[in-house]
Amino acid sequence: MHLTHLNTRGEANMVDVGDKQETHREAVASGRIIMQPETLKLLSDGELPKGDVLATARIAGIQAAKRTHELIPLCHSLALSKVSVEFDIDVAESCVHVTSLCRLNGRTGVEMEALTAVSVACLTLYDMCKAVDKGMRIEAIQLDSKQGGQRGDYQRMSAQAPIVTGDGVAGEVSLGERCPSPCVRVKFLAELRERVGESETVVSLDQLASRDIGGLKAALAEQDSRFKQLTDQRTLCAINQVMANDDALVTDDDEVAFFPPVTGG
Amino acid sequence: MNNKLDIKVAIQAAPFSMDYGYDDALAGRSDIGAVVSFTGLVRDFNESPDVTGLTLEHYPGMTERTLTEIGEQAWQRWSLQAVRIIHRVGYLEPGDPIVRVLVASAHRREAFEACDFIMDYLKTQAPFWKKEHSSQGEYWVKERHSDQQDAARWE
Repeated sequence: MHLTHLNTRGEANMVDVGDKQETHREAVASGRIIMQPETLKLLSDGELPKGDVLATARIAGIQAAKRTHELIPLCHSLALSKVSVEFDIDVAESCVHVTSLCRLNGRTGVEMEALTAVSVACLTLYDMCKAVDKGMRIEAIQLDSKQGGQRGDYQRMSAQAPIVTGDGVAGEVSLGERCPSPCVRVKFLAELRERVGESETVVSLDQLASRDIGGLKAALAEQDSRFKQLTDQRTLCAINQVMANDDALVTDDDEVAFFPPVTGG
Repeated sequence: MNNKLDIKVAIQAAPFSMDYGYDDALAGRSDIGAVVSFTGLVRDFNESPDVTGLTLEHYPGMTERTLTEIGEQAWQRWSLQAVRIIHRVGYLEPGDPIVRVLVASAHRREAFEACDFIMDYLKTQAPFWKKEHSSQGEYWVKERHSDQQDAARWE
């Protein structure tokens, strides 16, 4: 094991990635900011003096991910294909959980971008709320998982393993970016997510022979044989979080989730 | 007697107390004659004989909606006075309470049946998934046919 950012003389060294294969890279990082319950309430009610805290912090995190190479000396600049920043308001722990996912096809990993997005989103949350609460603490900024690259995949094993498979919290409309043309956002949950190796994708409505769940499954299966298992009778489906069958119609910006039979309780 | 819809559901990673919901459901009321509650715990044996823990995933938003709807169905079928449902997500160890359903009614039969109904529907409809950890590794828990049969009793 050696540090690739140091050369043989121990000096800082930007790694030449020209010879590396381009692969699909993805990284998820998370962190949290702990605050007074009163501050959290003001934040979720939108009553803080600086306005919409979460929307601002989300944009700040996305912008920061794109500028990571300007902040971290030996980082390459990357053409990210996706950056998402999500917030989960946790009343029980009196904190906001911040999660970022960064993705690209490229020669170098995206974990620094995901970590930067989380850090700057947390800092922005602090800035937006500091008028009412100076004692907030930013904690536990960490890489949760990464995929792709020659060192293989990484998954943090701990009590903090990912516990949710959707975005956003109850009653909150996800602010994920909309696609330019009419599309549906597709999520794969739990075991199905692991089997297809992907948590979400976007499908353009123009790709569907019929604009219903059956048509969506067929379009996905045509895209990639991994998605053929969606036609398995055990696989369940929900449109905008309501159970649906193959004949159910899909419209622009719907959230469609596929998942295995439930096993709670 | 007050039959105003009183259903609360909660999803959380943190542990809950063994009397969760009781004080809240009964506060300021003297028309309740029966409280039935069910608490489900993590067993150390299930699909493998040495379960060391499990990780529960859910589908935020749909989970809360589904549990509320199940509570509302129970409210329509029986004469109830309060329903409380709490379910944990995240990493749990054997012995940890995982789910608790509390039903208050004027009479015991309705509270017993409604609590039974809510658990049967929760197990077959609410979007939770368990991944068990054991010394042999980890695996996703398979759905049980008997749970489907239990839920079908109410049709």
